[in-house]
Amino acid sequence: MAPAIVSVIAFLVLIVWRFVFAGSRSGPLARAIARQQQRHSNPLAEGLHISDLGTVAVIAENQFENNSGGLRSLDRKDRAKAYLRRIAALTGATQTGSAYVLDVGKMRFRVRDRHVSRLRDITDPGCALEETCFYPVHRGMPKAEEIATALLQLMNNPALFDRWAAQSGAYKADGQAFSPGQ
Amino acid sequence: MNAKILTFSSRGDTTLLEYDPATADMEEINRVIAEYEARTGAQPFDMATGERLERVTREQNEGLMVHPIAGG
Repeated sequence: MAPAIVSVIAFLVLIVWRFVFAGSRSGPLARAIARQQQRHSNPLAEGLHISDLGTVAVIAENQFENNSGGLRSLDRKDRAKAYLRRIAALTGATQTGSAYVLDVGKMRFRVRDRHVSRLRDITDPGCALEETCFYPVHRGMPKAEEIATALLQLMNNPALFDRWAAQSGAYKADGQAFSPGQ
Repeated sequence: MNAKILTFSSRGDTTLLEYDPATADMEEINRVIAEYEARTGAQPFDMATGERLERVTREQNEGLMVHPIAGG
């Protein structure tokens, strides 16, 4: 009788040991999946709801999120500069020092870090230089992307300069007023 | 080749949408873009021409949602 009880106890211990061991091995995997799911949900924090998109479209996670902080930051700035060069080429803007010069009709804009100046008529030697500051409502984007954003908007809608100079709030690219809380 | 809609954000360039332009439901794509604009004020631009888009079509391979700017 006693050997039978010992055998049963040993069997139970083996089963318990197997579950404990298996649990410790699957833990990191479960955590990795959880992290992955968390990363996939990150773009949702930016306000895009995609729950019913099905197979039509997917939100791709930023492919550089897995990098370490320093590398990611460096890479982010390099990529931002690349986008700025690309958008400068699209808009016909030329770089002079830290500024980008953009001609739209007779107007000439000079865009640099959160500052923009305008000559209304580059054919008029007496034309006064006007200046104002700007900042994107979406905070924290790299400076190069801020400049690229301003170049795109001014090329499509040069009248935005007057809205920015009036300091009367934020405006969408089409000139409509925008309140961040709306 | 997939088309994508990206934006500039605090994390740098971020892809918001990726889809096959040949088969995607463009009404649905534009609905999502309109929803994003309603929340953030960002509007779509064509990264091939630099022009603002009223609607994204199958011809656009890369779009950029451009966020509002304020003067200050």
